[in-house]
Amino acid sequence: MSDFDPGRRRFLGHLGLAGLGALGASSFLSACASSASGPTTSSGSGAVTIQSNLSSPQAKAAMEKLIETFNGQGKGTASLNTIASETFRTQLPTYLTSANPPDLYTWYAGSVANDYASKNLLLDVSDVWKSLGDYPQSLRTLSTDASGKQIFVPMNNYWWGFFYRKSNFAKWGVQEPKNWTEFLALCETLKSKGIPPIGIGLGDTPWVASAWFDYLNIRINGAPFHRELLAGKQRFDDPKVKAVFTRWREALPYFDPKGKAYPFQEATTALLAGKTGMFLIGTFFADAAPKDALGDLDFFRFPIIDPAVPLAEEAPTDGFFASAKTANPTGTKALLSYLAGVEAQEAYVKASSGIVLPANPKAKASDSPLVVKGKAMLDEAKELTQFFNRDSSDALQPTADTALTKFIDKPDQIDAILREWQAGAEKVFKG
Amino acid sequence: MTATISTTSVTPTRRRRRSARLSPLLVAFVLVPFAVESIWVFWPALQGFWFSLTRWDGMTPPTFVGTDNYVELAGDATFRGALVNTVIWLVLFGGLSVLGGFGMALVLQKERRGVGFYRAALFTPVVFSLVVTALVWRVFYQPDGIADTLLRAVGLESLIRPWLADPQTALYAVILPALWRQIGYVMVLFLAGLKAIDPALHEAARMDGANSWQRLRHVTIPQLKGVNAVVLSVIVIDSLRSFDIVWSLTKGGPYHSSELLSTYMYSTAFQSLRLGYASAIAVVIFVLALAVILGYLVRAFREEA
Repeated sequence: MSDFDPGRRRFLGHLGLAGLGALGASSFLSACASSASGPTTSSGSGAVTIQSNLSSPQAKAAMEKLIETFNGQGKGTASLNTIASETFRTQLPTYLTSANPPDLYTWYAGSVANDYASKNLLLDVSDVWKSLGDYPQSLRTLSTDASGKQIFVPMNNYWWGFFYRKSNFAKWGVQEPKNWTEFLALCETLKSKGIPPIGIGLGDTPWVASAWFDYLNIRINGAPFHRELLAGKQRFDDPKVKAVFTRWREALPYFDPKGKAYPFQEATTALLAGKTGMFLIGTFFADAAPKDALGDLDFFRFPIIDPAVPLAEEAPTDGFFASAKTANPTGTKALLSYLAGVEAQEAYVKASSGIVLPANPKAKASDSPLVVKGKAMLDEAKELTQFFNRDSSDALQPTADTALTKFIDKPDQIDAILREWQAGAEKVFKG
Repeated sequence: MTATISTTSVTPTRRRRRSARLSPLLVAFVLVPFAVESIWVFWPALQGFWFSLTRWDGMTPPTFVGTDNYVELAGDATFRGALVNTVIWLVLFGGLSVLGGFGMALVLQKERRGVGFYRAALFTPVVFSLVVTALVWRVFYQPDGIADTLLRAVGLESLIRPWLADPQTALYAVILPALWRQIGYVMVLFLAGLKAIDPALHEAARMDGANSWQRLRHVTIPQLKGVNAVVLSVIVIDSLRSFDIVWSLTKGGPYHSSELLSTYMYSTAFQSLRLGYASAIAVVIFVLALAVILGYLVRAFREEA
């Protein structure tokens, strides 16, 4: 259903949706409601079942290896159940509310996890956190729910930035910009050379536009306002939100017009082929890049607009949470402790192909210059945000997709667009 | 029903008394499918009606809100847009596939050399899953893709646009692949109908001096009545449940411009997690389908009576 989620590796295999007939769909809806049984898996103190949405071949193999190692250690047994990410996403509420749910789940930190915690569906994993004393405070806060207990264990995170090819920037004779003015000047230079400066991929993956909104908002209004806005405590038709779009409009003429029509994977291809200058995207885009191009890639942080606003960066965090109804909390926590450890995280980072940073500060990330630079950028940030949907909910994301793609098409109608966005968001918050 | 008819007709006088007592096998034949159908179709369908009167996120128990969802539907601009698009879809997709399918069937009904090839060629798209169809057409529509290249070749660059990303063209760009597939299907239905027409009727009409248009109007079309009912039902149902092709090409976007009721229902249910509201949309779709089909059936029965 949706490529709208920015989570890593969710972009493949989403097309396998059966057509839902009118009645068929309503029966499907009700089937969800009446199925109190769900997947029947673990029993008693037997194997801990882990439900994973890491279905790309490398990530799946990496997880299998981790679970195998864990089983070999004799601290318990676990069985891995890998599910296509889209199925996983739509089924997660059903898993968690079923009478006999799987024990452990891969998921994302932030509101998307805390929502489940507020419904008392998640296991309190504060015990596990007792042994994670060296984790940074930012990750601890991120994994803590409204009632003050930890419900999430992070595995790794990644960053967003303006990616570009070093060889192309050298060829065009341009440098990384430091602030918004320099950024616009860079765009102008590239445009004068006949290169569409800013690549984007909104066809099929409209959520990519949310990165622009997130970044402009945290650069102009700051991360706390951004979070409040996404939690429904501020309004989208607020003048402060309009200011975000006024800035965005300055950059709008430099967007690749073809970007509306193709998905971010093709925008990646365009960037690598030198058909666009730069591309605001998360590191997962490199999964679609040929290995020989990786060495030529570099990035710069989203330009500073107001130096008075504390520096914040997007750093979506992936990890695990457990069902409150698990029959084997001890085994589940043992597995979580293992997954949070240095050994497991290093093994995962090594085995999975992507550019990710391990959550455990003692675990070594890859030593490629790109990863070192990314880690330094996140370490420098005063605040970390997750991403639009992770800081709000998957339900709010479509309202952003509609508003932002419409703005890119019709920037003149910004007042009407923001009013519609607020109305759409209110419906989502109301439920 | 057919079973009862056959028992009464096959069994003459002596066994008539026994037919009052239903054979257990017969009861089983009726009740078992009915029970299965009840569990998997009727009960969930009824539940759908109930959910349309609730607010429900799929996790916490549904809360009853009366007709709130329907009141909201009445004022929902996206819903109205989706309804209009569904009507456009019904008219264009339904109408053109009937016209195209019927035309193709007429052209290809005569056994000539090579006709099998054309029939097969037109029917081939039906064999592909719609998702595969969507992938193929996406390549066709992509920037600098086949569509753009063709337009450039004939000097119509000015028409080039992001077909699936332009709100003016998105809906029509999705209808085209759907039609491409449906025409072959409708053609096969009509071909079967045409084959069943007694050639003697045409022979007689020709003897009476009817030209080919008159024969088409007064012989062929009336003779196809049975097939028409099937085609109409298929078209209406296929239009209202069109989902996969739209979802795989545009997901109803950009900004709801190619949204159909079916895609809106899906995104409301599984993206916005507003299952009560989505159920209300499902009920509307159900009522629409029922109204169109019942309307036709009532008329058809009245003509027969």
